[in-house]
Amino acid sequence: MGLFELLSILIIGLYALGTLLFLTGVCSGNDRLKKLAVWLAVAGFALNTVDLVLALTGDASALSSGTFYFNILAWCVLAVYFFLWWRLRLEFLAITALPLALLLYVSSLALGGITVVMPPELTVLFFGLHIGTLILTLGVMIMAFGAAVAFIYYNRKLKTKAGLSSMGQGIPSLDKFDAVNRLAVTIGFPLFTLGLFSTYFWYLIDAKRPFAWDIMKIGSFAVWFLFAFLFHQRVVLGWRGRKPAILAIWVFAGMCVSLIHHTITFRAVP
Amino acid sequence: MNGKIILVGLNHRTAGVDVRERFALTDVENFEAGLMAHCPLSECMALSTCNRVEIVAVVKRAGERQAIDAVIGYWAGVCQGSPELLVENTYQYTDLEAVEHLFTVASSLDSMVMGEPQILGQLKDAYRKAVEKGTARTIINRLLHKSFSVAKRVRTETAIASSAVSISYAAVELAKKIFGALDGTRAMLVGAGEMAELAATHLLQNGVRDIVIANRTLSRAKELASTMGGTPIQIEQLSDHLHEVDIVISSTGSPVAVIRARDVKEILKKRKNKPMFFIDIAVPRDIDPDVNSLDNVYLYDIDDLKEVVEENMAQRQGEAVKARAVVEAETETFGNWLRSLALQPTIVDLVDRGEEIAQRELAKTLKKIGPVDEATRRSLETLVLSVGRKALHEPICFLKRRTQEEGSADQFIDLARRMFNLDDELVPPDAHMNRKSSSCAPEDVDRLIDASKNKEQ
Repeated sequence: MGLFELLSILIIGLYALGTLLFLTGVCSGNDRLKKLAVWLAVAGFALNTVDLVLALTGDASALSSGTFYFNILAWCVLAVYFFLWWRLRLEFLAITALPLALLLYVSSLALGGITVVMPPELTVLFFGLHIGTLILTLGVMIMAFGAAVAFIYYNRKLKTKAGLSSMGQGIPSLDKFDAVNRLAVTIGFPLFTLGLFSTYFWYLIDAKRPFAWDIMKIGSFAVWFLFAFLFHQRVVLGWRGRKPAILAIWVFAGMCVSLIHHTITFRAVP
Repeated sequence: MNGKIILVGLNHRTAGVDVRERFALTDVENFEAGLMAHCPLSECMALSTCNRVEIVAVVKRAGERQAIDAVIGYWAGVCQGSPELLVENTYQYTDLEAVEHLFTVASSLDSMVMGEPQILGQLKDAYRKAVEKGTARTIINRLLHKSFSVAKRVRTETAIASSAVSISYAAVELAKKIFGALDGTRAMLVGAGEMAELAATHLLQNGVRDIVIANRTLSRAKELASTMGGTPIQIEQLSDHLHEVDIVISSTGSPVAVIRARDVKEILKKRKNKPMFFIDIAVPRDIDPDVNSLDNVYLYDIDDLKEVVEENMAQRQGEAVKARAVVEAETETFGNWLRSLALQPTIVDLVDRGEEIAQRELAKTLKKIGPVDEATRRSLETLVLSVGRKALHEPICFLKRRTQEEGSADQFIDLARRMFNLDDELVPPDAHMNRKSSSCAPEDVDRLIDASKNKEQ
C-alpha cells in the first residue's frame, strides 16, 4: 500500500468516525462525543492538507486535472467550518460539515478524470481566480445551507411552541445561525462573482475558444442572479432570519446542480 | 456495631410545614456537638433547610436501632417536641440505604423542584461546618465528598437541571434561544406586575444591558427603575421606544391589546428586521396574537410559558430515571469502599503477624548459625520478611475479591481472622465438640506437615 492510499484511508476513517460520533453525540446529547468528533475532524483535516500538498508537489498538472477538485472542496468545507467554530463558537455546524467533507472526499476518489484546460503560464492565476474562488464559495454556502436548515427548523419550533424541550442547551441560538447566513452572503457573493466572471478573462485571451451561450453558462448565471438578489435583500434591505435562510437553500441547491452539470461536462471532455 | 452509617430525617413529603418548622434546627453546630456527646456516635453531620432536616451519623459501640433512638430522642429534646411525633414524621435509613438517600438529596432528586441547585450548596455549607467543628471525620468526609461528585455527575451526565421550571426562568431560556447570549440586548417592562418584575430581574441577571419601564403611573415606573436601574417612561410613550428594545415583557391590566401587530410591523422596519421577543403575562392579553405571525418576532403568552415549564418538568422526570441509575451505581461503589474499610485492619494484622513470625524464626536461625556480619543479617532479614509477605499475597487478593461481593465481607474477614488467629482468641477445650481432638502445638503442626508431605511423595 502506497503513501497516498494509506493517507486516503486514514482521512476517510477519521471523517467517517467523526461524522458517526458527532451524530451520536447530537442524538444522545453527549457533549464529550461531539468534542471528540470535532477533534477527529481536525486530525482528518490535517491529513487532508498533507494529502493536498503531496498531490500538488508530486504532480504539477494536478491543478488542472484529476481527483483534485472534490478533494480541495472537502478540505474547504472543513476550513470554513473551523473558521466559523473559531469566530462564532459554532460547533453545531459539524452536523453539515463532517458528512459533506466525507462525501466530497470519497467523491474525489471516485470522480477522477475531470480535466480543465488552462493556459500553462496562467494556471495558478486562473486556478486562484476561477476554481479557487468557486470552491471557497461552495464551502461557505455549504455552511450557509446547514445553518439555514437549522434556522428554519428551530424557528418553526419557537414559533409553534411545539417540542421546545428538544431544543437543548447545546443548540446554538437563532441569531448564531443567522450570523452564518450573513457571513456566507457577504463573503460568498463577491467570491462567486469573481469566480464566475473570471471565466471571461480566459475567453478573452484564448482566441481558439470563442464565447458562446450554452445551458451550463445560463445555469451559472441563473444561480448568480439568485445570489445577487439574496445579497441585495440581505445587505441593502436588511433581510434577516427565515427569508434569507430559504433563499440560501435555493442558491446552494442551484450551485449543486451547476457543479454536477460541470462535473459531467468536464468528464466528457477528452 | 462500629462504623455503621445511619440517617434520620424529615422532608416536605413526610412532614407538614408545622412539623418541619417545629423540628427545624436553628443552631446546627451546637446540635452536632450535643449529638456527639449524648449519642453513641463517632461522627455526625446535620443539615437543616426549610424543606428538610437530615442527620447523618456513624455509630460507635452500639446497635443501629439504639443509635437511631438516641438521635431521635436528642433531636426531640432540643426542639422541645415529642419523640413519637418525630418518629411518625421521619424516615430512618441505615448503611447503604442511608448512603443512597444522601446521594439522592445531593443530586436534587428528592427536592421539591427536582434538579434545583440550591440543595447542593446547602449540603456543602453543612459539611464545612461539621468539618470545622470536628464532627465529620473519615466516613462522613468520604461520604460527603462522594455525594458532591455524584451530584456533579448527575448534572453533567443527565439533563436534570438543563431546562427552566419557573415562568420567569423559562422566559430567560427562550430569550437565549433567540438571541444567544443576552449581553447587549435591551428589554422593556410594560406594566409593573410582580411576575413581570421577576422575569425582568432574571433577564438583567443574565446579561440584559438596559431596561425601559413603561407604566401608566410614572411614579410607579420611577420606583421600579430605582430598584432595577432602568429608564422610566409613561406608557403613552411606549411606541417611541419600542424599536430600541429586543425583549418586551408585558403585564398591564388593560382590557384591550396594548401592542398591535401593525405597530410591530412598522417597528420591525425601523429595526431592520432585528428579532424581537414578546412575553405577554397579562390576562386579558396585552399583545395582539397576530404579532407571532410576523417574521423575526416571537410571542409567548402565559399559557405558552406554562406549557414550556410543564414540558421541562416532564423532561426532568425522564432524566430522573437516568440520574437514579447513576446514584445506584455510585452507592454500590461507596459500599465497596465501606467494605474495604473493614478489610484494611485485617490486612495490617495479617502482615504484622507474618512479620512477627519471620522475625522470630530469623532470631532462632541466627542463634543456630552463630555470629554473622551486619550485611548478612540484613540480607537474611529482608529474605524472611519478603517470604512472609509474598506468602500473604494470594490470601489478601482472595479476601479483597470476596469482600467486594454483596453481603460476604463480614463472613470472609471473620474467617480469615480466625484462620490466622489475628485476635489471639483462646480456643476453649470443648470448642470442637464432635471432632477428633488434636493438639495445635507448633511441634505437632510441624509433624503434621512432614507427615502430609511424606504421604504425598
